[in-house]
Amino acid sequence: MLLSPAERQYLYDSLVQNPPIRPDARNVFQCRPLEATTTFLPSSNGSARLRMTDGAECIVSVKSKVVKTADTPNLLEVDVDVQGYRDDSNFVATLKYNLSSLLHKNFPFEALKLTSRYSYKLFIDCIVMSNTSYPLTIISMAIYLALKTTKLPKLVSEVDDVNVEEQPTFSDDWEDAKTLGEATGSDFQPPVFITLGVIGSSLLFDPSLEEEQVLENGLIVSFYDGKAQTPLQNINLALNSNKNNYKGLKSTHIVSAISMVNKYCGMIIHALDTLIDQDEGDGQVF
Amino acid sequence: MPSDKKRLSSGLTVTSKVFVMSRNGSATKVVREHYLRDDIVCYSTACNKCAELIKENPDGQIPNIQLSDVPAKLQNERHYIVVDTNIVLSAIDLLENTECFYDVIIPQTVLDEVKNKSFPIYQRLRSLVKAEEKRFVVFHNEFHEGTYVTRKHGESMNDRNDRAIRKVVSWYDNHINHDNSIEKINLVFVCNDKDCRKKAEAEGIYTKSLVDYVEMLPKADYLRELVSNDNQTFTEFQNEAKYQEYYSEARIMAGVKNKSLFKGILNISRYNFLQGTVQVPDFKKPLLVVGTKNLNRAFNSDLVVVELLPQDKWRSPSSTIVEEGSIDDYDNPDDDDDGATASNGIIPDKERILLAQEATKAITLASSGNTDVEHKLQPTAKVVGVIRRSWRYYVGQIAPTSVSADDNGNASRACFVVLMDTVLPKIRIRTRRAKELLGKRIVISVDSWEATSKYPSGHFVRSLGDIESTEAETEALLLEHDVEYRPFATNVLNCLPKEGDKWKVPENLDNGDEQLKKRKDLRGELVCSIDPPNCVDIDDALHAKPLPNGNFQVGVHIADVTHFVKANTALDDEGASRGTSVYLVDRRIDMLPLLLGTNLCSLNPYIDRYAFSVIWEVDKDANIVSVEFTKSIIRSREAFSYEAAQKRIDDKSQNDELTKSMRILLNLSKKLKQKRLNNGALNLASPEVKVHMDSETSDPGEVEIKQLLETNSLVEEFMLFANISVARKIYDSYPQTAMLRRHAPPPASNFEQLNDMLSVRKNGMHISLENSKALADSLDNCIDPKDEYFNTLVRIMSTRCMMAAEYFPSGFFGYSDFKHYGLAVDIYTHFTSPIRRYCDIVVHRQLAGAIGYEDLAQSHRDKNKMEFIVKNINKRHRNAQFAGRASIEYYVGQVMKSNESIQEGYVIKCFNNGIVVLVPKFGIEGLIRLEDLGDTDSAIYDEDKFELHFNDLHKNKRTIGVFDKVKVEIKSIKDEISGKRKAQLILQ
Repeated sequence: MLLSPAERQYLYDSLVQNPPIRPDARNVFQCRPLEATTTFLPSSNGSARLRMTDGAECIVSVKSKVVKTADTPNLLEVDVDVQGYRDDSNFVATLKYNLSSLLHKNFPFEALKLTSRYSYKLFIDCIVMSNTSYPLTIISMAIYLALKTTKLPKLVSEVDDVNVEEQPTFSDDWEDAKTLGEATGSDFQPPVFITLGVIGSSLLFDPSLEEEQVLENGLIVSFYDGKAQTPLQNINLALNSNKNNYKGLKSTHIVSAISMVNKYCGMIIHALDTLIDQDEGDGQVF
Repeated sequence: MPSDKKRLSSGLTVTSKVFVMSRNGSATKVVREHYLRDDIVCYSTACNKCAELIKENPDGQIPNIQLSDVPAKLQNERHYIVVDTNIVLSAIDLLENTECFYDVIIPQTVLDEVKNKSFPIYQRLRSLVKAEEKRFVVFHNEFHEGTYVTRKHGESMNDRNDRAIRKVVSWYDNHINHDNSIEKINLVFVCNDKDCRKKAEAEGIYTKSLVDYVEMLPKADYLRELVSNDNQTFTEFQNEAKYQEYYSEARIMAGVKNKSLFKGILNISRYNFLQGTVQVPDFKKPLLVVGTKNLNRAFNSDLVVVELLPQDKWRSPSSTIVEEGSIDDYDNPDDDDDGATASNGIIPDKERILLAQEATKAITLASSGNTDVEHKLQPTAKVVGVIRRSWRYYVGQIAPTSVSADDNGNASRACFVVLMDTVLPKIRIRTRRAKELLGKRIVISVDSWEATSKYPSGHFVRSLGDIESTEAETEALLLEHDVEYRPFATNVLNCLPKEGDKWKVPENLDNGDEQLKKRKDLRGELVCSIDPPNCVDIDDALHAKPLPNGNFQVGVHIADVTHFVKANTALDDEGASRGTSVYLVDRRIDMLPLLLGTNLCSLNPYIDRYAFSVIWEVDKDANIVSVEFTKSIIRSREAFSYEAAQKRIDDKSQNDELTKSMRILLNLSKKLKQKRLNNGALNLASPEVKVHMDSETSDPGEVEIKQLLETNSLVEEFMLFANISVARKIYDSYPQTAMLRRHAPPPASNFEQLNDMLSVRKNGMHISLENSKALADSLDNCIDPKDEYFNTLVRIMSTRCMMAAEYFPSGFFGYSDFKHYGLAVDIYTHFTSPIRRYCDIVVHRQLAGAIGYEDLAQSHRDKNKMEFIVKNINKRHRNAQFAGRASIEYYVGQVMKSNESIQEGYVIKCFNNGIVVLVPKFGIEGLIRLEDLGDTDSAIYDEDKFELHFNDLHKNKRTIGVFDKVKVEIKSIKDEISGKRKAQLILQ
C-alpha cells in the first residue's frame, strides 16, 4: 500500500473537485516536466533518452535493416524491456502490444520503401530503466523523439527494379542519410499515446503514481495526424492498487477524452519538437 | 563532422568516424573510434625534431630513418616526393625503376587506397618500402594528430582522401623546412588529377603531373616511354567499335543472386580465340561465349558475369580453328551482330530465369548422348560485367605491319603488340621507339579497354632483348608464368645461418640445446640417396635393414629445411610466396637461397646433416607394423644416380651391407607398387621429353623421351609411402589445418569426347569412370594390336581429361573427399621435397608440432591463413609446371632447327578446317590447317565420325580421323607475327 487510508481519502477528495486540485498543482491537461536527449547512441539510426521528474527513465533505439518487402509482413518491430519485469509478463506484453498496434496503424510506411522490391525495416527497442507510474506515455514519447531523429542511409542505386533486379547500394556518407520526414517530404510526426486518468467527471493527463492509486478508471488515447486516433482503450493504470475506487467508464468520459486530446496534444507534440530543435547534441559519443 | 576530438592522455587523442557500410544490399551505420597520436616520426635524416620520438616497434626493432638528408635535385633544389594513389596504380613500374623516384613518401591513405584497388600493386609497393633501396617510407597520416582530416559535410570519400594526402605534403613541408633541416628540401606532390592539383596549388603546394615531373628529370628521354597512357588518349581511335557498357555493380550483384546472371572464370579456347567458355556451378556444362561482341572486352581468365542469350542464338561449339591473324582481317563468321537486339528493350528477370531453366534442359539433353543436331545446341551467353581482371604484365612483340616504314619522326605513334599468349587480343600501345623495338621481346602492361575502342590499350614497360635470344625467351616465359626470378633480397639472405657454408652439425650433442637433445642420432645407419644424375639439391635419403624378428626397418630421411627456415621470417615469407622451385631446361629458379638448397639442407654424402626421418617396421609383405617420426642426424654413405644405383643392385658381385640394404628397398618397393596398382592407382602418361644440352655452348643438342628405371620407382614408392604416413599423422594432430593434397575424380563430362572418339573410331572401346580401379583397368584394355603406341596415346589423352591435384587444409573438405584418385589412397600430402616445395615445409612444421618437437606457428594453425598459403602454392605449382613445359617447347623448337625430319605422328583432334597431330618422339603437338592439307572447298568434315575428307595437294582423295597414325614432316618455322618459333608439321 502506497498511501494510508487517510492520505488516499484526502487525495481522492481533492481530485474529484471541479476543477480537480492535483498534488503537484498541474492543470488537468498538463504532463509532468521531462527532459530528453536525442541521437546519443552512436550506432543506432535514431535514439532518445527521456527522463521524468519522478525519476522514470526510458531509452529508445531505432535501427534499420534492408529487407525484401514481399518477404516481410511487418516493417516495424517494437520490443519493450522493463526493468524488474519478465519479458513474457502480462505487463510487458500489454505494453508491447499497445505500442505495436499504435505504430502499425499510424505510420507513413511509404517512407520506408526503397525500391519496388526492397524496404527498410525498423526495429524499435525500448528499455524502461525505472518507472513509478504507468510507463506507456514516456515510452511513447521517447519513441516519438527517436523516430523523429531517425536517419536512413541514402539509396544510390536504381529505384525502379520491377523488371531488372538491382541490389540496393547506399551512399557511404552518413551525412547523406535522410530523416523519415525528409524521406516523405512532409512534416512527419510519429503517433503518441497519452494516458488519462478518470476521476469523478474529470480527466487527468499523465497521472502520477499517487494519482493512479485513487483513480476510478484509466484511458489510453492515441494521437496522430493532428487528432485522436485508435487504438483507444481503458486500462487500470495502478499496478498494485486494490482498486477500491474502481468504477465503470461513462461514454461522456470517452467523448471528453477525445476532445481534450484533440485540443491539447498538439501542444505536447509541439513541445517535443521544440525539445529536438533545442537539443544541440551533435550525436557524438563524447 | 564538427571537431570532436577528446584527449585521452598526452600524445593520444580519440575521435570517431561514422559511415554507412553497404554490403550485399544492406545498409549499416558504422561508428569507429579512431585514435590519433603526435609521436609519429617523419623518417627523414634531415629532421632534428623526430629523433626523440623514435621508439621500438612491437618486434623490438628500431625503425630505419630512411629519407636522405641530401635527396636528389630537381632543377637545382633537393626534393622529396609525395605520390597520389593514381600514380602508384598507373605507374608502379616507374616507381620501381632505378633511374628515378628516390626519397618517396607514401601517405597511409594512398597505401590503403592502393590496397583496395589492386592487391598485386599493393604488394609491390610494400616490397618497395621493405627493400629500403629506394628510400620509400610510409607515413601513417591517418593516425597522426597533425595530418588527420575529418570528412566534411557533403564531401565524397575520394575528395576527403585527396585532401588528406595534400595535408601530408603541407605538413612535411612545414615540418622539415621550419627551423629544422639545414638545407631546404622541397616537397613535390605528383598527382595526375587536375582538380586535385589545382586545389594543391591554391594551398601553396608545389605539384606536378607525372608527365611534367618526368620531363623535369635528367633522364626524361628514357623515362618518358614508361609513363602509362593515362593522360595520352587514343582519341583518334574512339568510336571505331561499340561494345556494350558493363552493367552496374548493383545490377550484377542482384542478377547473380536471383540467378538471371552468372558468374565464372572465362576460359578462351586454345584453338579459337573468339570462343570462350564460362564454367558456372548452375549448369553441368560450361556456357559458350562466342564472338567479340559477346566476349565484350573480357580477357582469358577474367572473372566475368554473363547473361544468357535468347534461345535462337544457342549453338553447338565451333569446330573451326580461329587464330588471331594479321592486323586488319578481323572478320569472323561467328561474329553475328546480335548486340543490337540484346541491348534494345529490357528483358525482365523472370524471363531470364525461365531461359536459365531452358538452358539446364538443353544441357541435360545434350549430355544424355542424344546425337540429334537439335540437341547438340548449347546455351550461349554474353559478358555483361568483369568482376576481376586478370591483367598482369604481358610479353609480346610489336606487330611489324602496324609500324609504318616511312615514319622517321620522333612523335609517339600507336602500334599493336601481339602477345605470346595466343588467346589474348592485340594490345595498342603508344611509343616513339616502335622501329627500334621491332624484333624484340617486350613487356607491356594493359591499362584499360574502353567500350568505344576495338582494342585494349596499354603501355610499354621494358624490352627483354632480341626475339629468340635465350635470355629474352627465358625471361619472357618466366614473366608469362608469373615466376619470381629476381635474386633474393638482402633481408631474406640475412635469415641464413651466420656461419654460411661453414655451418656444421655440432660435435657435442649435449650442448644444452633442448631441441638438439630431441634429435635422434642415426649416423650409424647405412643411409644413401638416389637421385637424377648431377642432382645438387638432395631432398631425400633412404636406409633399410633386416630386424631379428624377420621384419625390416626402413627409414626415409628428408632434408630438415625447417631447421633453417623458421616461420614468420623474411626467408619464410619469400619461400611461401615463391611456393616452389621452377625447373627449366637450362635453368633452375630456386624457392630457397642456394646456400640452403644445395648445401646446408641437401643430404650430401659423407657429411653429417640434419634430417626429418620416418622410420617404419614393415613385415616382408611391406605391411606397416609400426611407424616413428623423428628429427635426426644422418650421414649419407653415398649419393647414387638412378643408373648407378641400378647397376650396383644388379651387380651380383657386390655384396656389401649398403648394396644389400638397397636390394631390400627395391624388393619392398615392388611390393608397395603392386599393392597400389591393385588398389587402382593410375598409370597415366604424358609425353615427357628431355632436352640434352651441349655442355660447352649450352645449345640444345637433341631431344629424347625420359627413360624410367626400377630405381626411379624405388625412390618414388618410398616417398609415396612416407607422404601417406605423414599425412595420417598430421591430420590426426591438426584435423582442421593439416596441409594435405587431394586429387578429385574426373567428372564424366571431361571424358565425354574421348569416349565418343573411342567408341566411334575404335570399335566401342570405352573408358569407365566408376572408380580409379575401373579406369585403370579400362585403360589397360585400350589396346590396338597393330599399334603399340596406341595405349600410351590413350593414356596421354586421358591425362588431359583428369582434374588437377591440389593442396588444401584438411578442414575444407570431408574425409571422404581427401581421396587421391590417381594414387588411389584415402589421404595424401607432400612431405619429401622441402627444398623445392613450400607445402613440404608447412608439413614439416606440422609434423614437428605433432611429435612435440617444437610449437607450431600460428599461421599453420589458422584456417584462414592456411587457405591463403594453399591458394598461393596451388597457383605457383601450376605456373611452375606451365613454365617448365613452355621451356621445353621453346628448346624443342630450337632443336628442330637442325633436326628437320619425317616422323610418325597421331591425330588427336579433328576440326572442320584442320587437324592436331602429336609427334611422340619429340613430344610436340601441332596444328595442321586445312589449307596446308589440301583443297579447302571440297573438304567435308564428318563431325560424328571425327573425320575429315579432303583432296590433298596432289588432288588425291584422303580421309583422316582421330587416332590415325600419319607421317609428318617436321620443320621449325618462326611465326613473324608472334615471334614464336614453332615446330611446323606438314602432312606427308
